[in-house]
Amino acid sequence: MQYALAQQSYSPDLVDQQQTGIVLLDHAGTVLFANSAAETLLLGQGCQNHPLAAALEGAERLGLLHPHSSGRILAAVAGDRELQFRRRDEHTLRLTMGPGLGGTRLLEIADVSKVVETILSQSLDPLTGLANRVGLLAQLAMDYAPGQEPTGALLYIDIDRFKGVNDTLGHPVGDRLLKLVAERMANVISADDMLVRLGGDEFAILLKASAIVPAAEALARRLVDLLGRPYLVAGHMIHIGASVGIALASGDGQTPEDLIRSADLALFNAKSEGRGTFRFFNPSMADALQQRRALEIDMRRALALKEFSLVYQAQYAADRSRLVGFEALLRWNHETRGAVSPAEFIPLAEEIGLMTTLGEWVLRTACMEAAKWPKGMSVAVNISPVQFRSTALVAVVASALAASGLPPEQLELEITEGALLNNTAQVMDIFTQLKALGVRFAMDDFGTGYSSLSYLQKFPFDKIKIDQSFVRTMPDSHDSAAIVRAISALGTSLGMTTVAEGVETEDQLMRVARDGCMHVQGYLTGRPVTADLATQLALATIGEEND
Amino acid sequence: MTDYRLVYYSANRLNGTAEQKEADIDTILARSRRNNDSVGVTGALTFSDGYFAQVLEGPQGAVEVTFERIQQDGRHSDVHLLEFVPIADRTFSNWSMAYVGKAVEGSKLAGLGATTGFDPAKISGQQLFERLRDLLLAEQAVA
Ligand SMILES: Cc1cc2nc3c(=O)[nH]c(=O)nc-3n(C[C@H](O)[C@H](O)[C@H](O)COP(=O)(O)O)c2cc1C
Repeated sequence: MQYALAQQSYSPDLVDQQQTGIVLLDHAGTVLFANSAAETLLLGQGCQNHPLAAALEGAERLGLLHPHSSGRILAAVAGDRELQFRRRDEHTLRLTMGPGLGGTRLLEIADVSKVVETILSQSLDPLTGLANRVGLLAQLAMDYAPGQEPTGALLYIDIDRFKGVNDTLGHPVGDRLLKLVAERMANVISADDMLVRLGGDEFAILLKASAIVPAAEALARRLVDLLGRPYLVAGHMIHIGASVGIALASGDGQTPEDLIRSADLALFNAKSEGRGTFRFFNPSMADALQQRRALEIDMRRALALKEFSLVYQAQYAADRSRLVGFEALLRWNHETRGAVSPAEFIPLAEEIGLMTTLGEWVLRTACMEAAKWPKGMSVAVNISPVQFRSTALVAVVASALAASGLPPEQLELEITEGALLNNTAQVMDIFTQLKALGVRFAMDDFGTGYSSLSYLQKFPFDKIKIDQSFVRTMPDSHDSAAIVRAISALGTSLGMTTVAEGVETEDQLMRVARDGCMHVQGYLTGRPVTADLATQLALATIGEEND
Repeated sequence: MTDYRLVYYSANRLNGTAEQKEADIDTILARSRRNNDSVGVTGALTFSDGYFAQVLEGPQGAVEVTFERIQQDGRHSDVHLLEFVPIADRTFSNWSMAYVGKAVEGSKLAGLGATTGFDPAKISGQQLFERLRDLLLAEQAVA
């Protein structure tokens, strides 16, 4: 990566050669000669035959230099290093060391303020007038220049839900919102801090403060609160939030790139822990990301390697008289990881956009298998909210049915309330089109989310699956028993079948049956089995009935 | 140009004795009146133990800019924006910022919670607006 300031080759017309200061030093650091430019820029008059240190300390005392500058300059001179620093009056000087005649050493002093200004003007974000990424990198290059000890903290700030604003209200509104966001941040930082727009809805603050950890934490808290307050733009009320990641220059980054990577990782963590919050970087975040990436790579391969499989869990009538169908459950068996829990890989698949492909494979495979079963025996397939967001699902279901020859009424799509929450018009449309194909719908995990009755009324479900948490606690909890009874009654009156999930004991089975639940599913009546076993079971059932 | 009405409530973060709070409110009102006058914004403010509630009316841009400033004020927090809608007529056109609750028993603060008290979890923007309007009319009648 190029750092504009550090590696800029100064074009001659921006640095006045006439004004270059020349100083000759002997081996002990005494000034043998200084031209007038050197005196004006840095040393003051009458420095000849005095130690360089004395001249610099004088300049510091007179207020030309920032406190502690002389020490840094002397260290750079002693170490033959180049140094760029700012005088108290904001002029930026660059010092270069080289050999002089007869064992002397030559110190050149150039005023590079114009160069710095020119570069800074290229480092501004046109929309907000803030520094941009180039500006941030330039500042970090100075902070991390040799001989410097970087202090302070880098905060990365990401606006949650900004994309939604742009998509629904348009870019002009989005741009005005970003300006307000920038303004709110500018109001809570101090003059020493640097506010940066990295691009899009990403900002950064380079914070300078003495007690940096508490200061960074206080600022992060403040930002999350302040940026999360409502906005008014062009007549619209807008609600967004902010997530913040923090990295400390003293420990979380050996180089500017390191520091940026750390802040970015911390931000990533803040976002994945629910947004509207902040996180300090810690080294384990890098490991966690590494692991996630590895899991992602393995999962992308798994489809091709046929590491995914389906198992089937039987559903019976509550009096156990009849096998009514199976729920297809996704399993991933990785060659070295072993069985990976769906709770681990499904959310990741949704996040990285693999869920649609994976979901399609599940649908096609389950339909193929169920087509071998006797008429009337259903197969239930879980549909992720992500799949339910796209109308492509309708075509996929139609094609899975056509390819397998499975009668539509034997396919049951299980969705959770979460799938219906957003974007109701489009969701309704998808639901209706799928219904028109003839497939059935089951509401999954009922009782745990909003359990909104209006969804049941609006979307004609065929089945309600009572969440296993109620069934499990039923023997001890009156509340759970009451909920199971209420849902069963609700199902009956709305003409929907009710299924109790997670039935593990005879006692639970007896209770759910008594409370009016029509079907049961769980370890008691059958653990998930392979496709072959499920098909055998299905065919055997029909055999019994024929007897 | 169409006027807009904005209604919000917020948690008040004023500290100190009743007198100090009173003084703070006076400062806020004085500033508000001067600023609002100059941009053509009118409205009403009330204050109870835990909350501020305010109505702002005026040209869209002026209300937006004023609200953005108010929003960042450390003297309150948890601003809940209830309503921001175009209106045909202003209700508080005579007040650059009316203060509701002055007439309450000589003291601005005593019993105000009970008088202007509202349950913020339940109230809508329209209801809050009507409440402020009615209280103001009642005070006018008393005065
Ligand atoms: C509850 C509350 C209501 C306020 N209402 C207004 C208002 O209507 N108009 C206004 O200009 N300032 C209002 N302020 C004050 C602003 O937050 C801000 O302090 C003020 O506008 C700054 O004005 P100045 O720059 O003239 O000092 C209010 C503050 C609070 C806490």
